[in-house]
Amino acid sequence: MREVGIVGVGHSKFGKMSGGTFSDLLSMAAVQALDDAGVKTGMGHGIDQVFVATMGAGILNKQSGIASALVDYLNLRPAMAETIENGPASGASAIKLGYMAIASGMCDCVLVVGGEMMRVVSGWEGTDFVATMLHPEAEYNYGLTLPAFAGLFTKLCMEKYGITEKDLSIVAVKNHENAVHNPVAHIHVVPNLYCITEDEDAHIMNPYVAEPLRMYHCCPVSDGSAAVLLCAMDKADRFKKKPIKIAGVGSATDTHAVAEREVPTDLLAVRLAAQMAYKMAGLTAQDIDVAELHDAFQILEIVESEEVGFFKRGEGHIAARNGETKIGGIMPINTSGGLKAKGHPLGATGVSQVVEIVKQLRGEATGRQVEGAKAGLCVNFGGFGNNVVATILTKEEA
Amino acid sequence: MIVDKMEQSLRPVESPMVPYPAKYITMATGEKLVIRQIAREEVPHILEAVKPLMTVEADFYDIVASRIYSELLGYYRYRVKDEYCLIGTIDGIIVGIVNGRMVDEKVGMSYHTMTLKQGLRIGAQLFAAKMEYHLDFLNQEEVLIVAESPNGFKRWMIEYELESRPETWHELGGVPTYVLTKALWEKHKGTKLGGRRPVKEELLKTADHPILPETYVQIPGYKR
Amino acid sequence: MMEEKMYAYKCTACGELHHPKHYVCKKCGNREFNEVPLGGEVTLVTYTKVYNLPEGYMKPYMGFGIVKFTNGLVVTGQLEVENPEIGMKLISTVGIVKEGIGKDHFGFIFKTI
Repeated sequence: MREVGIVGVGHSKFGKMSGGTFSDLLSMAAVQALDDAGVKTGMGHGIDQVFVATMGAGILNKQSGIASALVDYLNLRPAMAETIENGPASGASAIKLGYMAIASGMCDCVLVVGGEMMRVVSGWEGTDFVATMLHPEAEYNYGLTLPAFAGLFTKLCMEKYGITEKDLSIVAVKNHENAVHNPVAHIHVVPNLYCITEDEDAHIMNPYVAEPLRMYHCCPVSDGSAAVLLCAMDKADRFKKKPIKIAGVGSATDTHAVAEREVPTDLLAVRLAAQMAYKMAGLTAQDIDVAELHDAFQILEIVESEEVGFFKRGEGHIAARNGETKIGGIMPINTSGGLKAKGHPLGATGVSQVVEIVKQLRGEATGRQVEGAKAGLCVNFGGFGNNVVATILTKEEA
Repeated sequence: MIVDKMEQSLRPVESPMVPYPAKYITMATGEKLVIRQIAREEVPHILEAVKPLMTVEADFYDIVASRIYSELLGYYRYRVKDEYCLIGTIDGIIVGIVNGRMVDEKVGMSYHTMTLKQGLRIGAQLFAAKMEYHLDFLNQEEVLIVAESPNGFKRWMIEYELESRPETWHELGGVPTYVLTKALWEKHKGTKLGGRRPVKEELLKTADHPILPETYVQIPGYKR
Repeated sequence: MMEEKMYAYKCTACGELHHPKHYVCKKCGNREFNEVPLGGEVTLVTYTKVYNLPEGYMKPYMGFGIVKFTNGLVVTGQLEVENPEIGMKLISTVGIVKEGIGKDHFGFIFKTI
């Protein structure tokens, strides 16, 4: 299979979009990626295929076939175009398909854009829309939501491994501190650990969302877009910057109904996806210098860090307590601020994670740089862990 | 203005109301939110903080700000009986405003809650402070409440499990009335009401001369 | 009034029980199932109290739990239990879990015995 690299990246400021259409939102990140790569938006752009990752464009924003719309909006006709939906893992799935298109020899150059405009609807309409990923008869019809499952999962993990509410807050504060150095992050305000855990009013200012998960353990609702330009490594000379290689891609599925999982405290699909990606890249967990792990709920960062092999099962929260996952630590996780502070526009997230790792490997992550980073891992989590995509990027030696 | 017999006859007879004792709440960021009652003379200054939002359609700011403006003016010009206004400040800057009035000894009427600084649950705390004033300090038995926005409805009607009382008209014009009874307040205040008293002199001083916000996140590009 | 029941789906070939329904048996790949009533005593595996409910649920919070039936099936449902504890025994009942347009949805509501 041909080798595939990333030659351009773009990222809008996550948060609340004020005005503009869904196509405008996607275009912001798309043209940034093209500019970053040195590709002119006109004749000779050389893009064969566009993939747009989004979960809600059709449902929330009444825009189906958004990839077809974008291709015309950006004057990239007659490039091939498809909209990719894999819940919150749409972004990484779109990149995986872009990788496959080039590796197979069918395409040379693929533009992947992920985006979501969720803040056009009310909070509970948004919660309801996200809950459509759940099993219709066994879960959705009960009024269950993603936060409800995160609460159920967190309770079990606390019982089994001794993870505390404070551990979740420690992870959250770390992510917020990282986001201060990320200009495109949704939230630049940093919560104070004492104020959200031990202060007399902490239980009011940081109330439960789904016990034992609190408000500051859950990511915000964000609008935003991110884009990457993929190219065959052997055709990448025409771009401004050296490509960052997509060294490994893996994905796996698990049971739809969460209650049917083999081991209720495991995230099996995360483990399998990561193993597949490591195998393809010829690397192990020890080779990874920096990671973006899907932390829609802070418990997920902890458990994912164990399932991908950074820490033993049941020790991820101890590593976080000891500062090992901070930027200066032995295994920096979510240097971008993670979904927690950077934000989580569903379709954009998987692409946004890859953009961060590309910046880290290029040495462009000013203020949050992991020195000498050469290999990075992204884990993008779909549904409540029933469809996970892992991507490994590496910096090629000169 | 000259308070002659005519002016006197147009003014409502004010009931004695104990002042709201100031308190402070530690925000998630560590900042301290000071909540205190304003004096009548402060109204013109506070109106300047409200004014810019009167034309912002998003999130119902226009109707809330416009109504608060007129309610506070009514209080200032002695044309509304037993009205009060509480403000929240962080580092001296006004971050939120709530108001209401006493209908009679036993019943309170909640007017509005407006948050200038978003994202820190300031609105929730100011609303709770208002309810605290009616039920814990003015010793009333219930407060009549209506909501203009879906967010308001969710935060108050659903979260406090307010009693529906459509047969009672609320001054704010015909939308369904809900009631916070003493019993409901006692049930929910443990998880809803924050704050410590007394406020240290230094901290309280910061709220003495409330600073008008320079910018409003609700109004991109605005500068005072 | 007809009493609503909940069912497990038993593979006609190997007898493996399923809930919810699958098109293909998880164990042997067979595609035919018999309905068998699912109810009785359960053990609480985990629980939560959710405060931010989706559209249509006008309550401040709702309890949910994942439970294990004596036949080994593990399911999620609403929880009406004052002080839940992992490992406690509960009884499975069937009730309206979501009001629908034209048709209400029935599901598991777990209660103290």
